[in-house]
Order: sequence, then structure tokens, then C-alpha cells
Amino acid sequence: MSAAPFVELRNISKYFAKVIANQDVSMQIRKGEVLALLGENGAGKSTIMKVLYGLYRAEEGQILVDGAEQVINSPKDAMKLGIAMIQQHFALVQAHTVTENIILGLVQGKYDIKQYDKIVADLAARYGFDIDPTAVIGDLPVGVQQKVEILKALYQNAQLLIMDEPTAVLTPQESDVLMNFVQQTTRAGKTVVFITHKLREVMEVADRIVVMRNGKVVGDLRKDETNEIELSKLMVGREIHDRTYVEDAVFDSQPIGLELRNVSIRDPREKIFRIKNISFQVHKGEILGIAGVSGNGQSELCDAISGYRSLTQGAILLNGTDITARNVRKRIEMGIAYVPADRHRYGLIMPMKLTENMFLRSSFGRIWVKHGLIDRRRLDAYTAEKILAYDVKATGPDAVAQSLSGGNQQKVILAREVDLGSAVIIFDQPTRGLDLGAIEHIHRTILAEKTKGKAIVLVSTELSEIFSLSDRIAVIYRGEILGIFRNHDLDTQQIGLLMAGYTTERR
Amino acid sequence: MGTLFGSLFRDSYTFADIFVKATPLMFTALAFAFTFQANLFNIGAQGQFYIGAITAVGCSLFLQDKLPGALTLVLTGVLTILLGGLWGGMIGWLKAKFNANEFLVSMMSTYVALALMNYLLRTFLMETKGEYPQTDPLDTAVWLQTIIPGTRLHTGFVLAVLTCIGIWLLLYKTPLGFRIRAVGQGKDAAAMAGINYKTLYIVAFFVSGALAAFGGFAEVNGVQHMLVQGFNPDVGAAGIGIAILANGNPIGIIFASILFGALKVGGTIMGQLSGIPSSITELMLGSVMVFVILAYFVREKMEERREKAKLKKAVSA
Repeated sequence: MSAAPFVELRNISKYFAKVIANQDVSMQIRKGEVLALLGENGAGKSTIMKVLYGLYRAEEGQILVDGAEQVINSPKDAMKLGIAMIQQHFALVQAHTVTENIILGLVQGKYDIKQYDKIVADLAARYGFDIDPTAVIGDLPVGVQQKVEILKALYQNAQLLIMDEPTAVLTPQESDVLMNFVQQTTRAGKTVVFITHKLREVMEVADRIVVMRNGKVVGDLRKDETNEIELSKLMVGREIHDRTYVEDAVFDSQPIGLELRNVSIRDPREKIFRIKNISFQVHKGEILGIAGVSGNGQSELCDAISGYRSLTQGAILLNGTDITARNVRKRIEMGIAYVPADRHRYGLIMPMKLTENMFLRSSFGRIWVKHGLIDRRRLDAYTAEKILAYDVKATGPDAVAQSLSGGNQQKVILAREVDLGSAVIIFDQPTRGLDLGAIEHIHRTILAEKTKGKAIVLVSTELSEIFSLSDRIAVIYRGEILGIFRNHDLDTQQIGLLMAGYTTERR
Repeated sequence: MGTLFGSLFRDSYTFADIFVKATPLMFTALAFAFTFQANLFNIGAQGQFYIGAITAVGCSLFLQDKLPGALTLVLTGVLTILLGGLWGGMIGWLKAKFNANEFLVSMMSTYVALALMNYLLRTFLMETKGEYPQTDPLDTAVWLQTIIPGTRLHTGFVLAVLTCIGIWLLLYKTPLGFRIRAVGQGKDAAAMAGINYKTLYIVAFFVSGALAAFGGFAEVNGVQHMLVQGFNPDVGAAGIGIAILANGNPIGIIFASILFGALKVGGTIMGQLSGIPSSITELMLGSVMVFVILAYFVREKMEERREKAKLKKAVSA
């Protein structure tokens, strides 16, 4: 590992319209090392790297590459300097093959695709990737798509690979493969910046760790001189007390609240099953966790229970009554609440006021209507009360939803759904993208609703969340439930295998 | 400029005419603004206005010697709302059922309405003399009453203002209005809340069509007292401009319409007085619209810059 910095960032500051994303950030990236950029969501990790990659322009500061100051205005400039970034959301053309994606924009005129297929195959072999260059991207699992992105960078002879939360979309096994690759590639002389908020990965793969909090660098440490506890303290600025699952011995003696019988949904256009033959029961006062890598049918399942998507087959029962034929409106009236994963699109109406958003899902009810008009005064008072109770940071009921931060937006949805869901509450990724304070608040709310005797479905890709809250855990893979287990009957290794689709006995 | 506005006050007839001109504009502006709240574009207010005018004149002529005047007026008004609503609702239905582009459908429906009017004016509705493509004049009994004697100001203006207030109430104070706005600003979240946006597309276009058509009724029974081929050919377009100027707010539409009415009347007088072509006011109206739209973006940009500067200062302090 040479000491000379390959890339140096000096006093970078970046402002967005209303927030400071980075403030006076300086760091060095040395040749041949794995630098982990650690921090909570919203700490400014991605932003600073996007500045380096030319996606954002910093308001202040300098970028030095190999000791010379550079102006990077676009990813093209960055690529010329050997800097590549693998985004969280891949930029691949779904209908094209691996090779076509890799050479996209890099060839002109007439070319022989077979020749490039061979180049790509050689490149993949050199880095130990098992990839068919002629495969169509859309057919490949996410883990492989990520490898294609990496290959694309390597094909362009990138010296510095920036990976933005690369394991977020991977199964534990796929993550291990990626970690191996990272270590191999640095041994071959490349440099890797690994953006993450997961301590385990940092300890596994990094040589050096830069910790960020609130847009600032709060620590720059060598891995062998630190430990998880120190890092987590730096990251959150306070202690995290691990919330472990408190066993509930009586949940299964309670009556069944929600039941799904052989529920299937087939995509009418693609003719494939989004969810297939799913059956489970949720008792009153039980939290059923649904674990799985995202995109395995979780959202479709939640949509089906809420009534937003209709079933191809099967039945949904609420307290023993068949509600399969009831629409969303009826189901809301029956006390089925839903906290959707995409809160910007499905949870809130962003340009509307908080009061209006609180009213959104009860617009057909009579509660807020007086003489045919909306009782704004009472609604405002109710909203103000919820803002206080849920510690929402907002100027008041008249604040517009989009002016709030992600965590506070989620609290507003939570406040609304908790009141509406007298029987069932579906939480789809309730804490995704939120900071630890908000996560804790949301977890406490979910547990409080459980004690009130509601049947709760919790979908999450965060295993720690599943393990610390759920009474039982169902694992979903490609739209099928591979098994339902009691919380303490399952360990991380087992669940990891299940999430990747390995199972001895299929149900 | 001085002459333009000064001339408006030279006599009560001229002054009252501002409000006469503003009346149909309020209705067509409301028609655009209402669907706009549901994030739909109704470019066909002109056609809906004509449908209303045809219905009004047809119904009035047919009933005026059979029923008392007041009753005829009420029936005509109701029928106008119904037919105009159906005409508009059809656009919403096509959008809901086939996801047809409502912008194009509403725009083209204007030409259909225009052709329908021309056809009827040469056949069933043609004057008894059979000379021009226009109807017989209406009986005074079915005229919308004049408010101020010696002017053309009629009760249609009062109805227009009341309609603006009513639409404002509907949009901002009732659950139905809330749902329309919710669909406009977040269709998916609204659907997730059990709101059927397809139904609301039809409802919004029904109301929109009825509004524009009622403008046609007010104009025929209030001012023209007959139907002449191709009258008021620009109320639809002007309505869009007014709605944008008022930022889609029904109360704002009242004032923006009066401003447009004043410019229209002033422009005509200017033409008579000084030989300046009256089209100069149309140029002014167009510029007003362009600047209003520009101002919106400039303001947003300035706000963003100010926020950034504030942050920078806060950081260095």
C-alpha cells in the first residue's frame, strides 16, 4: 500500500436548496486500498462521492488526482481520470445483452459484436466473474447485474471504483462474493471506495475507514486500530442499545386476525406470477415478519392485503370474513392500514399540507365532515396533536409534506395509519432510508400496536429489524413463501440461505 | 395606457361592459382550472361554450312561447349544464376508459362542436327569414335580467361570481374537491387511499364541460339574445390564460377575468379614439400571460439562490 494519495478532496462543501449536504469535507484516497465511507443515511457519503464522480458540483473546495488539481464536471471527466462509480440504481439497458451494455457509448460505427463478446468474457474470467456476455440484462439476478456494472467500469480501465451501498440489494451469500472481489481487485492494484452504513461489512473489507455524520467527516481510522463499538459511536454520535426480541409466549393463543389462503397474483402483461400460492395466518397481537431480498414479491403481497391489487387466485380473510372482493375503500373502513414502502409515491401527497394528508385515507368517512364540508378546524387540531405525539419536526398542520425530512414524513404516515388500522397494519419497509432516531421511534410504535392486539405484517429487508420485532418470520423468495418460523427457531445463516432461495423442503 | 384605462370610466355603459365581457371568461377559465386541479388539461372550453350556446338558444326558442319566461330560463340553464356536462364528461370517459390523451381529445372536440353549430344554424336553428346563418332573436321574457338600466350588465355576471365562489368551496372545502385535488397532485397515493381516479376524471370533465356550457347560456340569454355563427371565438383561449394568471384559484379568476374584460373594452375604445389598432391590447394580454408564467420560474430560482446564500452565511458564521 503506497502512502501517496491517489485522490485528495480538500475542503469540499456542497449545498442543496435547503440543506447542507457536505461541509468542509477533506479526505485522501490512497492507491490500492479499500476505503470504507461509513455513516448513517443522509450523512453525506453518497453526495461527496458524487462530487468526485462529477454528478454534482461542489460550491467550494478542490479535487486533486495524483497531486494535480482537477475540475470534474461530468462522469465523463471522472472516467478519463480513472474514476468510476457503481450507483445504487444500476444504469443498464434491460433489453440489451451484457456486452452491449458494457460497450455502450464506447464504440462507433460498424463493429463486430462477437469480438467484443470475447473481450468481455476474458475480462470477466480475469476477475473471476461467471457471466455470459450474451445474456440479456433483464433476465439476470440483481447480484449479476451489479457485476456487469463493475465490469463496465473495469472495461474502461477504472483505477478507482466507488461503490454506493453495493450490498443493499444482495443476499448474504452474494455479498460475500462481492467482498471477495473487492479484496482481490485491490490486490491487483485498483482502489475501492465502499459506501455503506453496515458495520459488519466495514470490518470485513476495509483497510481504512472514514466516518461521516451530518455532512462532516468525524473520523478517519485504520481498521486494525478500531472496533465496531468505536465506529458505531462515531457514526451515530451516541450509543445504540441493541433492541432484541422479547419473546411473546401467548401470541398464538389469540384468535386469527388476518388470513391469506393460496393467494396468487399474475402479472397480466408479463404472464408471470408476482406472488404464488401464499398462505399464512396472523394472530391478533402478533407481528409476522416477512424477510426477503427486495423485489421478491413483498410489495405485491402488501398491495394485495390492502386491496390495491386484485388477486388472480386465493382469498383474504379478516377476522374470518372473506374480504377478497372488497376494494381499498371498504378495507380501510374495516380497519386495514398500510404503510407502503414507497412513501413519496403511495404514502403521501407531497405538495399537500399535513392536515390534508391526514385526511387522505378517510375522505369517504363521515368523521371529518360537517354539513358536507370538511371540518378543517377539528382536523387541524387533530393533526397538531399527532405532530406533537409523534415528535414530527414540522412548522404545523399547514406545513407541506415535501418540506419535511424523510423520517418525519414517515412519522406522519405512521400516525395516520396507526389510527386507521384498528384490525390490521401492514408495514412495508417502514424504516428504509431513515436515521437511527426515527427507526427507534418507529419500532416502538410497531410494538405498541402489537400490544393493542392488532395483527401486524412487517416486511423488511433489514434482518436485524425482522429479528428484533417479529414473533414469527416468513421468508419470501420469488413470490413464494419458503417457510414460516418462530423467531428463535431461525438463525442468520439459515435465513440467509432461504433468502437466496436455498431450501431443503419446499412448502 | 392612461387613455386605455381613463376611457373605461367615460360612461356607465362602457364601465359596465367590463363586467359583461368578464362573465363568459369566468366560466371558461373555471372550466380550465377545474380539470387542471385534477392534473387534466381541458383545452376544449371553446367547444363546450358553443354546446352551451346551442342548447340555450334551442331550448329557449322551443319553450319561450309554451312556458312562462322564468321557468323557461331555469329549464334552459339546467339543460345546458346537463348537455355541456355530458359533452365534457365524454372526454373524461375516453380518458378513463382508453387512456386517451384528454388534451388532444378536448381540443378536437371544439371543432366538432363548431361544425355542429354551423350545421344547426343552417338547418333547424336558422332564422325564419332564411337569410343568414343565425337564429331568430329570443323573446325578452327569456333574457337574463339587466341589473343596471341603460347598460348591458345582466344577472349572468352575478351567477358567474357566485359560481366562482361555489367552485372554490367545492374544491377546497368538500371531500369531493379534496379527492379531485388529491388525484391531481398524487394519483398513486390517492388510489392507494381508495380513491378511484378514473371516476374522478369523468366527474371533473363533467363539471368542467358544464361550467363552460353555462358560460354559453349566460352569453346567449344575457348579451346576444340570439345565436350568431362563430360568435366570441376566443373565450376558450382567453379562459386558459386567465386560469393560469389566477394560478388555478377560482377566487383569483374573478379578478383576472375583470382585468381581461377591462383590457378588452379599453382596446375597442382605443381603436375608435386614436386609430391605434385594437389588436394592440391582445398583444398586451399575451405578454401578460408570458410574463406571469416566466415570473413563476424566476421566483423559484431566486428563492433557491437565497436559501443557498443563507446556508453559506450560517456555515461561515
